Amino acid sequence: MTALVDQRVVTPRLLACVQRTGAFDLASHVAVHGWPKALDLPPSRRSRLAPWAEELLTDIEDAGLTGRGGAAFPTARKLRAVLSTRRRPVVVVNAMEGEPASMKDQVLLSFAPHLVIDGAELLAAAIGAKEVLICLPDDRIEVGSVLRATLAERDRAGLLRSPVHVATPPGRYLVGEESALVDWIRGGPGLPVFRPSKGAPLTLGPCVALVHNAETLAHVALIARHGPEWFRSAGVPGAPGTCLVTLSGAVARPGVYEIEMGTPVADIIDLGDPTATPAAALVGGYGGGWIPSSAFKAPYTPSAMRELGAATGPGILVALGSASCLIAETARILGWLAAERAGQCGPCTYGLPAIAEDLAQLARGTGDRGLLRRLERRTGQIAGRGACRHPDGAVRLVQSVLRNFPSEVSEHAQGRPCASALGETPLPLGVPHWP
Amino acid sequence: MNPTPTIAATSSQALWYLTRASGIVALLLLTGTVVLGIVTAGRFRSANWPGFALQALHRRLAGIAIAFVGLHVLTTLMDRYVSIRWIAAVVPFTSSYRTFWVGIGTVALDLWIAVAISSVLRRWINPRHWRALHWLAYGSWPIALAHALGMGTDARLSWVQGLVGISVASVVLALGWRLHRRWSDRPPRQDPLAARRTRGDVLGANR
Repeated sequence: MTALVDQRVVTPRLLACVQRTGAFDLASHVAVHGWPKALDLPPSRRSRLAPWAEELLTDIEDAGLTGRGGAAFPTARKLRAVLSTRRRPVVVVNAMEGEPASMKDQVLLSFAPHLVIDGAELLAAAIGAKEVLICLPDDRIEVGSVLRATLAERDRAGLLRSPVHVATPPGRYLVGEESALVDWIRGGPGLPVFRPSKGAPLTLGPCVALVHNAETLAHVALIARHGPEWFRSAGVPGAPGTCLVTLSGAVARPGVYEIEMGTPVADIIDLGDPTATPAAALVGGYGGGWIPSSAFKAPYTPSAMRELGAATGPGILVALGSASCLIAETARILGWLAAERAGQCGPCTYGLPAIAEDLAQLARGTGDRGLLRRLERRTGQIAGRGACRHPDGAVRLVQSVLRNFPSEVSEHAQGRPCASALGETPLPLGVPHWP
Repeated sequence: MNPTPTIAATSSQALWYLTRASGIVALLLLTGTVVLGIVTAGRFRSANWPGFALQALHRRLAGIAIAFVGLHVLTTLMDRYVSIRWIAAVVPFTSSYRTFWVGIGTVALDLWIAVAISSVLRRWINPRHWRALHWLAYGSWPIALAHALGMGTDARLSWVQGLVGISVASVVLALGWRLHRRWSDRPPRQDPLAARRTRGDVLGANR
């Protein structure tokens, strides 16, 4: 797995320790990053924040840190929402990383586990949490053993401040959605739960869950050490800081790269030595979107990607080689997403398989004359109607193809044979776990 | 024979029938809403009934109930046979006609309005405040029931009494189910991770 960490990253922050020292044990971690002073201060009491904790929350707010799990929700706003419930929080570290094309959380936990635990411990102490629960999928056994060894190492050094618990939910795509993860922790099957808004608290018995992506917590650990100005010194005004990106597809050196927010997409792809200039790239994973090579000069930020019909998601870039067919790939992804659905709502249960079948027909060039209009109608009917954002992500992906690649779409719709449709897929699809 | 009074009498009668009918239907719909609300709050779900489906049904039913309550109030105000001023529909105990029974109907209405408005605005208000306001529904339902029994023209009809009996029984049953669930869940509820805690897997302070 060492090959996954590239040495030529632009701004090593999260992965600085392993890149400089080649190690990630506690001594190296403290030597490179230092020890956060706040962890030696008394933690917040149940209803009153310690002065240092108030300061940390303000710093996170000023840093403009957003969640790195996919939704880019402001981290500070999530914290404040949890505090406003007046229930005792439990910090949940979300390292589920259900996106098959994403490896950044497992790389981070494998090569900078102390930074993630620092972040979780800092937040737990800051908001007076009862304990910390780190969730990683049951099939990532190696990451789990690194994590347990790291926790034992901290425990031996007497540096664990909160009780830390490791849980291994099933490695299904949807369990990574935060309400589904909390549902699983409650003892449920791990399905998304309807919430009136993203800020609505997720209760855990008498407590409330504060769910943060593993990378988000690693950023918190660095903001606590260096402050918000330092954090903003990388990235661009609307999207500060660095982020991890999993680059794959038609590149010679696929892997996880730490980049500054706002780096042009072309420069990120260049880090992986593309075999040729890719025709298109999938940005944001299977709930993101395809952008054409003409848009590669765009900065990698949530807002710029949204404008292009894609999303940054959990930091995924898949370069599409000339031997692959964009529409066949999208049909594959839709088939996979349809299989990974929770099966709770109509839009997903009936809509996703129908759209997947439409796309498969389009890719084979066997579609009838009404195909495109049907596809547009179906994508329009599904968005925003599920209990979670699963169908919305799938629809965004399809709409990005219809919008950004009109000539490819119309050629396929006219039944022209596509040489690449049966070509090798650059996408890691994994085995659907559901139903 | 002058036809005008007959028409007036007929339309007034129609309003009167409409008031009574919409009142009974509103009560049944509110009962259904309350029962579904209790079941939703107790987090009922099964393989065929995801939790949010009940929630959605609860909300839709509440919307229909509000429409019937609105019809009930509107026809009452329009009915000239007994004159109840519009202020009596908003401010409790200001009706000169059967002050108490009309008044508690107004109390129930005001409480429902608070519950309904806070739910429409749920996205923008503090969940704790929404929850506190939603508890008003538990107070409002029995008041609405009392209004129906004390005021209702048809309250003595056996089939209406039967419906009231079924309503009370279903709310009591739902409440009993929820309390039972709460009590039987007691020990795990104290521990947020009870369902997934495995022995020896926790490290750190106070373990």
